[in-house]
Amino acid sequence: MSDNTANTPLPYMQRMRDYYLALGYNNPYEWAHFTQTPFQPLSKPMASCRVGLVTTAAPFKPDAGDQGPGAPYNAAAKFYRVYAGDASQDDFLGISHVSYDRSYSTAEDIGSYFPLAALRNAKAKGIIGEVAPRYYGLPTNRSQATTKDQDCLDLLAMLQADEVDLAILVAN
Amino acid sequence: MGSAKDIVEHCGVPRFVFSDFPLGNSAGKPNDPRSQLDTLLLALNTLETAATPATTVQSPQTWSEDEKWKADFYSIANLSAAELTRRRAEFDQIKVIGQSVRDQTKQT
Repeated sequence: MSDNTANTPLPYMQRMRDYYLALGYNNPYEWAHFTQTPFQPLSKPMASCRVGLVTTAAPFKPDAGDQGPGAPYNAAAKFYRVYAGDASQDDFLGISHVSYDRSYSTAEDIGSYFPLAALRNAKAKGIIGEVAPRYYGLPTNRSQATTKDQDCLDLLAMLQADEVDLAILVAN
Repeated sequence: MGSAKDIVEHCGVPRFVFSDFPLGNSAGKPNDPRSQLDTLLLALNTLETAATPATTVQSPQTWSEDEKWKADFYSIANLSAAELTRRRAEFDQIKVIGQSVRDQTKQT
């Protein structure tokens, strides 16, 4: 890479647009765009907060083929409903259903895309008050209407039921 | 926490910790607990200290000295017409499978 592009973030929208146009799809995806962004300051110290993780990773699905490290793109592993798992466990969660960089990432270490261990560490250090009792999975739906009008509402209900103060979405 | 800066900022989120890593490593480098803890702590710090919406904080960590991964991701530069055709057929099949999974979900 030339010096004048070093340390420049990869332009994913243009890269993906060019790729799918080259494949012959003449309907470029329109990424979500909002002109206003909500913002809520913390209402209490971080050390008193219950923190929950929201992930786009998928739980293991029986009979859906290879979903582990190094698996080729696997549409059968996709999920279309918000789910929640026990944050006290070390469940398998995979990213075989998303287009991560398979040339440079192996997905062999769940900690690189789902930081539950790091969050527990933060709790042990007293940086946060609690880890939420569950972690929460959000579908990667091409339908923005479904994401906004269904999935986000379902996710919010789970977070509120668990009295989560702060939610961290880790996108993959 | 994410690694696609343009996509996340185009959407607009309250706070964003950007790790300039290949996709799939939004929480830190694999097999590197220190990298992962530092990334999460940066996210917690950003949660606590950001004063305005659409705040982006970039992780100071670098993936590697070689940035070839950026040029390679979904690059069409060296793809032959035959390879493009093959990938088109592969993606068409992926869409069929994904649609089937979605339809099955709606039925349950």
